[in-house]
Amino acid sequence: MSLRLALALALAATLVPLSQDRIDRRAGVFRAQEEVLYLWSGENVKRLVPGFENIAADVYWLRTVQYFGGQRRFARDKRFDLLRPLIEITTTLDPRFEIAYRYGAIFLSEPPPIGAGRPREGIEVLERGAQALPGSWRLRQDLGFFHFLFLNDPAAAAKVLTEASKIPGAAFWLRTLAADLLAKGGDRASSRQMWRQMFEQAEEGIIRENARVRLRILDSLDTRDRLAAAVAEFERREGRRPARLEELQAARLWKGPLEDAAGVRFGYDAATGRVFIPDTSPMWRPD
Amino acid sequence: MSAAVEGRPPAPAEPVLVTRGLSKSYRTGHIVQGRRPALVDLDLQLLRGEILGYVGPNGSGKTTTFKLLMGLVRPDRGEARVLGEPLASRAWRVRAGYLPEHPYLYDYLTPAEYLDYAGRLFGLSRDARRRRARELLALVGLERSADVPMRRFSKGMLQRAGLAQALVNDPELVFLDEPMSGLDPVGRRLVRDLVLDLRKAGKTVLFSTHILSDAETLCDRVAVLRGGRLLSVGALGELLRVDVTHLEVLASGIARDTAGLELARRAEPVGDRLRLEVEEGSLARVVAAIEGAGGRVLGVQPVRRTLEDYFFEELGGAPAGAGARGSAAWGEG
Amino acid sequence: MRAGVNRTLAVAANAFRETVRERVLYNLVFFAILMTLAGLLLGQLSVRQDEKILKDIGLAAMDLFGTLIAVFIGTGLVSKEIERRSLYPLLAKPLSRGEFFIGKFAGLAFTLFVNLSVMLLALMLTLVLTQRRPDLGLLGAVYPIFLGLLLTVGFAMLFSSVTSSTLAAVLTVGVVIVGRYADVIRGMREVAPTIPPALVNALFTILPNYANFDFKSQVAYGDPVPAGLLGWSTLYAVGWLGVVLGLGLASFRSRDFQ
Repeated sequence: MSLRLALALALAATLVPLSQDRIDRRAGVFRAQEEVLYLWSGENVKRLVPGFENIAADVYWLRTVQYFGGQRRFARDKRFDLLRPLIEITTTLDPRFEIAYRYGAIFLSEPPPIGAGRPREGIEVLERGAQALPGSWRLRQDLGFFHFLFLNDPAAAAKVLTEASKIPGAAFWLRTLAADLLAKGGDRASSRQMWRQMFEQAEEGIIRENARVRLRILDSLDTRDRLAAAVAEFERREGRRPARLEELQAARLWKGPLEDAAGVRFGYDAATGRVFIPDTSPMWRPD
Repeated sequence: MSAAVEGRPPAPAEPVLVTRGLSKSYRTGHIVQGRRPALVDLDLQLLRGEILGYVGPNGSGKTTTFKLLMGLVRPDRGEARVLGEPLASRAWRVRAGYLPEHPYLYDYLTPAEYLDYAGRLFGLSRDARRRRARELLALVGLERSADVPMRRFSKGMLQRAGLAQALVNDPELVFLDEPMSGLDPVGRRLVRDLVLDLRKAGKTVLFSTHILSDAETLCDRVAVLRGGRLLSVGALGELLRVDVTHLEVLASGIARDTAGLELARRAEPVGDRLRLEVEEGSLARVVAAIEGAGGRVLGVQPVRRTLEDYFFEELGGAPAGAGARGSAAWGEG
Repeated sequence: MRAGVNRTLAVAANAFRETVRERVLYNLVFFAILMTLAGLLLGQLSVRQDEKILKDIGLAAMDLFGTLIAVFIGTGLVSKEIERRSLYPLLAKPLSRGEFFIGKFAGLAFTLFVNLSVMLLALMLTLVLTQRRPDLGLLGAVYPIFLGLLLTVGFAMLFSSVTSSTLAAVLTVGVVIVGRYADVIRGMREVAPTIPPALVNALFTILPNYANFDFKSQVAYGDPVPAGLLGWSTLYAVGWLGVVLGLGLASFRSRDFQ
């Protein structure tokens, strides 16, 4: 090959990634996929690929994971407006794609920045899943959990969990948990139990990671409550509120760190005596 | 050069092929359809042990005849019997062989493999196939290329491979459509000798050609076609009507305007010699005139028309040229 | 009779040899690469998804590659022989047109069988090498894929006996695509109620329904395919093949090779 030809080839070759980069910057990396999602419903996509529905579902699922993260790290710059259509298309193409329902439900329900903050939609996704897979007690279990954890409706949760417990192969403790919810209206212990279950049932990945974080949040809330109790005890003994949380340690009313599970210092308002998780902490969640 | 007498079996031969009224026309045109007659009312007989030459210009129906006989196209009218069986029967095909014009023989196979495949189609055993392939490849001069894929073959080699496959089953009756096409002089000689060997072995050959000198040198009889019709069939001698009332004299060393030569009906220079056409009665005087002028008489022969002459004269169009005619009379065509 | 079978087998063996020599089986190399890449890259996802996705890819590739081979080789089987006239010396021998036609079909069928078998082994191997179980239940999907491919070859041969290889390829692809949509067309009754049901039914009946050969989803999820269902799918394929090959053969027999 002559030198001129080689140079020309090299020049042409560099044009390719360069122009791709420029196109991406102007139009966005996933624009092609996004257009599809906005234009086509799951049913239409399904009609388009007869005989290859399963593999098409796999493709949409992989896109979903690309968007929102498949590994331990949560993705940044997520487009939650695309999550619902992606999950819908994936599960229409392959209604048995159990994990897609779960994944969609969690990240639709969790508040921002982790999720879209639309728990009603998350629950709709789980309901579709439970209908498509009536033999899956786990999906129904998740549905029950979500009613309690995101909608604060222990009665509804209890009802769904009872149904779940009747499905063959269901875990034995679903019934007692349902009873607990009905009796006590649900408390942090119930939440913990639910998140613990979701943690253990999930495989390594962001669903599990999310549950792990949730459990840590509960731990942090527990610690906060114990700190608040220590503050109250301090006030009782000393007749005044502590100016800083370190005083509790000096007064031997508190052993251990003053940080939440993420290592962020608890906030303390000396005026009101309120202990709180600061909103700078990853452990913070809106009430 | 006439092959008319060598090796012919003495008994009157029975026909191995008989056609009666065989006709075929093709549809032409895409939008407006007409019919072009390719072969009209062919009545032909092929006698056992003979070599029949099938000649005619392009489009005269030669290849159509072969295709009809091989069952590649169906006749519109007429019938035929081959080796005693009806045309449509497959029984006679076991005893016949066919070489198509421009044979295409699976370029991804070697000739040995192709012959093996052909042998399988005849139901030959594996040993028989192997033996036969070896024999045939040697016969057509392809032994050294036996294991070369035919996509690397020249046209001439393909032609020879085609010839080999036509003979796999040691057929009694062989149909060759333009067997010399694409061959160099060595190849043509090979084919010619092969055809003669076939006849010696008592086989019957029908071959078509537009190289008239081949037909002349090989065939016992010749069938002439034009426009889809059979014009004439017969032994070469009959067709060419050897004319013995005139003689041709070849002389050297004299000029054309030598005295006494005006007795000759025709006089043409052939190289540095002179060819004269002379009536039998005037022969002696012409010879004397030549020798008197210091020339030499090289030879005397009866006038003979060549097939080419016949072709052009019967079918229209001037003869190729006196020079060609002369050389055809005296030597190789 | 016996001689006829031998001749047919000779044609079939040569047709298989042709596909090997024409390097058709190199598609298996692409498949192997695909499987390897898929096996390696899918490690991002959790274990259970890997297995399902790997199987999905493997089965879809078998279906797709197999269809491409069936269409493009199938349409050449007859028409290429006619166009190049390689048919002529063969039909002059005691080989009937029927033996030739069926022999060609058998040769390509065998090629597809080999192709699918190797692909199945490659898929099993990938599953084993990525620490999952090789699943014999996959046969429940691969066998009907094979049936579908045979039917595609039948169509390819039918079209290639009546028209040129290019047009035959287009028509065969058309039939295969429409055949996959047969179920969608059947469902048209709900989607487009204005179309007269008689027309929809008629259309559905004359189209081959390739959904009858598609058991990929359930096999990917590990559900066994009932033997009875496979039996009926076989009969469906046999019925359609009979029609298609019969028509193709009739056309081939009556043709003049100008």
